[in-house]
Amino acid sequence: MEVNVVLIYLAAIPFVIALLNILLPPVMQKILTLLGLIYLLRLTVLLYSGVAENFILFGETVFSVDRLGLFVFTFIQVLSFIIFIFSLQGLDKRIEKKFLILYPMTVSFCNGVVLSEHVFSFLIFWGLSGLALYLFCMLGLTKGTPQTAKKTFILIGGSDAFLILGMVSIWFLKPGSSWSLIDLHIPLTGELSVVAFICLVIAAFAKAGGFPFHTWVPDFSQDAPIESAAFLPASLDKLLGIYLLARIMTQLFEVTVTVNLVIITLGAMTVIFAVMMAMIQHSGRKLLGYHAVSQVGYMIMGVGSGGALAFAGGLFHMINHTIYKSNLFLTLGSVEKQTGTSDLENLGGLGKKMPVTFIMAMIGAFAISGIPPFNGFFSKWMIYQGLLELAGSMSKVQQVWLLVCLILAVFGSALTLASFLKFLHSIYLGKRPAKYDHIKETKPNQWLSTGLLSALCVVFGLFAVSIPLKRLIYPVTMELGYPLPDFLGDYNPQLLFLMFALAFIAGFIIYLFTKNVRYDQNYLGGMPALEKYRVAGTEFYNEIRNMKPLKAIFDAAGKKYFDIYDLGTRFTFSVSGLFQRGHPGQLQLYLLYIMAGVLIFILLVH
Amino acid sequence: MNIEYVFFLLIFPGLLFTGILGLTVGWVDRKVSARFQFRVGPPFLQNFNDFFKLLGKETIIVKEGVHSLFIAAPFIAFAVIVLISTMIGVALFFNKGFGGDLFVIMYLLMVYSVMIILGGSSTGNVYSSIGAAREMKLLLADELAFIFVCMVPVVKADYQLSLEQILNWQSIEGAFIGSVSGVIAFIVGILCIQAKMTLPPFHIPEAETELVEGPFMEYSGPPLAFWKLNHFMLYVVLPFLLVLLFLGGFNLHGLGILWAVLKYFLIVVVMIIIKNTNPRIRIDTALNFFWKYAALLGFIALILAVLGV
Repeated sequence: MEVNVVLIYLAAIPFVIALLNILLPPVMQKILTLLGLIYLLRLTVLLYSGVAENFILFGETVFSVDRLGLFVFTFIQVLSFIIFIFSLQGLDKRIEKKFLILYPMTVSFCNGVVLSEHVFSFLIFWGLSGLALYLFCMLGLTKGTPQTAKKTFILIGGSDAFLILGMVSIWFLKPGSSWSLIDLHIPLTGELSVVAFICLVIAAFAKAGGFPFHTWVPDFSQDAPIESAAFLPASLDKLLGIYLLARIMTQLFEVTVTVNLVIITLGAMTVIFAVMMAMIQHSGRKLLGYHAVSQVGYMIMGVGSGGALAFAGGLFHMINHTIYKSNLFLTLGSVEKQTGTSDLENLGGLGKKMPVTFIMAMIGAFAISGIPPFNGFFSKWMIYQGLLELAGSMSKVQQVWLLVCLILAVFGSALTLASFLKFLHSIYLGKRPAKYDHIKETKPNQWLSTGLLSALCVVFGLFAVSIPLKRLIYPVTMELGYPLPDFLGDYNPQLLFLMFALAFIAGFIIYLFTKNVRYDQNYLGGMPALEKYRVAGTEFYNEIRNMKPLKAIFDAAGKKYFDIYDLGTRFTFSVSGLFQRGHPGQLQLYLLYIMAGVLIFILLVH
Repeated sequence: MNIEYVFFLLIFPGLLFTGILGLTVGWVDRKVSARFQFRVGPPFLQNFNDFFKLLGKETIIVKEGVHSLFIAAPFIAFAVIVLISTMIGVALFFNKGFGGDLFVIMYLLMVYSVMIILGGSSTGNVYSSIGAAREMKLLLADELAFIFVCMVPVVKADYQLSLEQILNWQSIEGAFIGSVSGVIAFIVGILCIQAKMTLPPFHIPEAETELVEGPFMEYSGPPLAFWKLNHFMLYVVLPFLLVLLFLGGFNLHGLGILWAVLKYFLIVVVMIIIKNTNPRIRIDTALNFFWKYAALLGFIALILAVLGV
């Protein structure tokens, strides 16, 4: 039986829930939102088998859904649902009510973005989703919150202006066509098309957090409530940004190899700069925030490369990232709720007190660092192969360029591993400060949420080809005109995992037969080790921080010389400062300006 | 699941073969090192005796640490090394795939260091934590150069990634060591595996005199036995990887066997000589060396490989 799914409901239902939530008490808000999200999940499943009924207004198609839209839409629903389970208990009472109003509203806006076929509705929903980001940030309770909210709003809002400019330019390039965003394929030949392309890429980069428009992500992660950091910059904004980039690269424009190389280079730079910054952070939230940036680099490389395998890998990496990064944010949230801090210096040794959270965090950390057989490795592996495949058909200079980008990306995952070992060590391992002796494991809804995400990490890693790729991603790439990708290398996660398990058991049996265990405490110099002799883990990479050329770069980054927002602020203030100094309040000077102005005017007219 | 795979994994060229060969080569290392220092050196079976003796000893577990991770770490590392050795060995001896290509091996090799770090720092010992931090920094140091080294054969084999295709390419076109880029990459590769095995001059994480074995400090009994075994098994895995990538693999017919043994021992002996003639360097020196010089050499090798030299 075929079912009709009316697309407008998908955006309208969460919006209505948000409106109702304004009136309801928190308990009812939670129940209503949860039911709404479950209903949306059910509608998503129906979309795969049934028929989507487009939303048509004044004779123009406003909402329609294709494979790419459906794919991103699916994961918006899945992640909203799982992250909402985490938010059921443990939200700060001061912000709970507002949070529960904003949450379904954001889902509605994001659904609107991916379902929009019409330029206007796309722009409206895109702008509204940016506004939601600002409002979520305002819920933060730290001192830097207003500043960060302003920064986020200016960067995202500024990129919206570019988006509008780009869309208008597209309309000039295709004046006869309707306002539809599907299948334009504009060749990148004239200046106008290049301007349009750059404007749209800027918007996509700012939303997803690509270099150099990424600087709002770490600040947002630091100052906003942690659930919203898992919800927006880690998941939904990645989905939206990369969704736009994928549309740009495949349907809006016909790009050349040079453009692909430029995008890949930006991706590699995003990976390496952000991961270097992540390594030296002292705050767990900021560390995760910088990684939310660095992982975007892989997606940009994959989606921007123009090859079938890398494109599929980029999309796969996008959903993998949303899964493991929200998992990591949420485990950090659990720790923060139990201990009251996310500063890495003040934590330590919680692995024994919070074993479930520790295991989930470890799975997330392994997945993000690309340890086989978790999901992060599979998508990175696909992207690397896709890049190598491209390199085979390029000129020698381009080959070297591409290989350097590839090597930086591979090295980026070693650096990711390094910063996550620091993360795990500082929170869960090492010596536990005595003040945490009474800490207990978190609430069951939080386990359930992180557990679901960790399970997805494992399942998407082990059954990568049969579940996510064949069912979800290949239909998308096929519809966008790519052939079915062919792997260059050879990687069989199930076989390797079975063999690994066999070897592990073979070794462990020997241990079980020979073990003879005694428990004792830690000694240092013949005395029981004192608490002051502990390694917090934050100083792990000081040697790298202080290396010759890197020290200057890190120092400059510490002074925010690479922050486009800060640079923009400085520039604006210096220009306005010039004008300020020109207006000292002396009447004679103003008279002189008028005279000079009249003179210039006469000269020009003459 | 194919029973052949189980044989590959547990007997040859996996667990049993790599274990026995590793312990034997470990004896060669100890004997040669002893001769360098004008000592007599241990008898042939010493490493085996050590291993079985440690199995019979008591395991002391730190009360306040994370026990499960502390115990599991050496066995996970062991399983990963067995897995890598099987992948490399199956490609070398049977010219087949075992479910993993070069990228898989590069990433799996990192797991070994990860387990050292997690196992060591799960105890809360201050020396273990410092050692763990150094282990990670050393991994970062050699990894960049190592990636360059691994990419050189891939480029030369016309962007093939699977181990058996890299080998096949060499059996047709000649081993990659026969080219300028191959020679440079091979030399950098030997330095990298020296660091990956934390042999002198890169035994910075263990650094007995200052860190008292670093991450392994709290280990005893069977888990320690497995850490020792893991280390000796790397004596097989890493040189085999270099043989596969640059020396054209093994040809096990007639005189080929002699060549195979020579290729392998060439690498091992070079490693032992480097080990015995260099004092330990500081971690920042190692980072500088690998990132500024070795990686640069690797980059030059890569450019030459793209140019076909």
